[in-house]
Amino acid sequence: MSDAHLPVERLSIILGEVKDVRVSQRGPRRTRLDVAADALPALLELLKGRAGYVHLSAISCVDWPADDQFELVYHLWSYELNALVSVHTRIARDPGVYVSVYDIYHPAGFFERDIHEMYGVFFEGAPDMEKFILTEWDGPPPMRKEFDSEAWVNEHFDWQDYRPDWLLELEAQGGGIVIPPDEQRFSRRGVTESDDES
Amino acid sequence: MPDSDQFPVKIEQPTQGGNIFSRVFDELTAFCRSRSLFILHYCTGCGAIELPPAMTSRFDMERLGISPMVSPRQADILLITGYVSVKTLKRVMLTYEQMGSPKYVIGICSCTVNGGMYWQSYATAKKLNDYMPVDLYIAGCMPRPEAVITGLRQLMENIAAGKANGWQDYYKRYDYYLGNQQRLFGETWQTPTDVIAEARHYGLLGPQTLGEHTRLLQQHQKPLEALEMRLGLGAPEKVKP
Repeated sequence: MSDAHLPVERLSIILGEVKDVRVSQRGPRRTRLDVAADALPALLELLKGRAGYVHLSAISCVDWPADDQFELVYHLWSYELNALVSVHTRIARDPGVYVSVYDIYHPAGFFERDIHEMYGVFFEGAPDMEKFILTEWDGPPPMRKEFDSEAWVNEHFDWQDYRPDWLLELEAQGGGIVIPPDEQRFSRRGVTESDDES
Repeated sequence: MPDSDQFPVKIEQPTQGGNIFSRVFDELTAFCRSRSLFILHYCTGCGAIELPPAMTSRFDMERLGISPMVSPRQADILLITGYVSVKTLKRVMLTYEQMGSPKYVIGICSCTVNGGMYWQSYATAKKLNDYMPVDLYIAGCMPRPEAVITGLRQLMENIAAGKANGWQDYYKRYDYYLGNQQRLFGETWQTPTDVIAEARHYGLLGPQTLGEHTRLLQQHQKPLEALEMRLGLGAPEKVKP
């Protein structure tokens, strides 16, 4: 493949039609585009309609609590160029609302529903924002950085008792657990026997 | 040593006034029961991959009288092979309650013991014996077929000795198990099985069968409706009330 046919060369024509697109070439067939949130749907239209990036592989979401932002990454694939374009954009964490691209790429419906469930980002215009995989879940969106999974587990589940009677039997036979319970990571640290009884 | 030597049938002296044969029949029943077990393998996790070699010609659990069964109604053992997500646990509970007594639960892999490598995950249950009585755990990540067979032999021994009574515990302490289920599934949780009525039927209604959690269940309980029968692939028609 000659340099003249690099995907980014082909893209340059249409990228001029969208304002403020930052292009960085991550590899011979990988391009990263950073774009403002309001220009992203137009850019996707162009990439799909004029550049042949017809396949939306995935939408990923990254939580940046320090910046108070969510980063949405749209991974687009072209079967003609065998090239990947990742379109990155940032949206405000609060209220965490963005526009759906379901009308451009239909598979987006699934990805947006998933992101809504895991991060709480609402996509306006998406066909379905109901629960997807975590159908039994009524807690906060679990993939947000501030969600403390360990604290949730401590609150909702009991840990296994590490000194049950049957273990004493095993220890009498020469078996038992190798790492003492207090040193195991999932031991109930800080929980003393007196706490249990009270 | 032949297998039969491991399970001696002991005939104890009858207690005063008791039926002279009741013990004999109990022990004989327990012995026979332990020699013919049907497994319902609920393959939720990685441990399921160790079951085909344990069942088939390599390790061949059929020589112990254990064979797989596809329906919970006709199975004796519920084999939970690996992590149980909260969503799965609901289905496991439904399955467990459908099984006819006496029934036995085996938890395979460390995930059923204490959450295993998913100990920190919000989505998986940590301790299977909070939600249903577990007769035997086979620890390991994953236990090899030898360990599975050893565990099954131990269960057979326990059954023959009359020690595998987890299913009775479910009826006797239903309030405790229901409480843990409600903690996870919400207080409107209910199953199609009327466990309290079953406990009465088996004569296992104990002081801990009923409690605050069963009261909560009875408050929310909705009567079951028959499933709608439908033929063809078309959209369901609205049934007139």
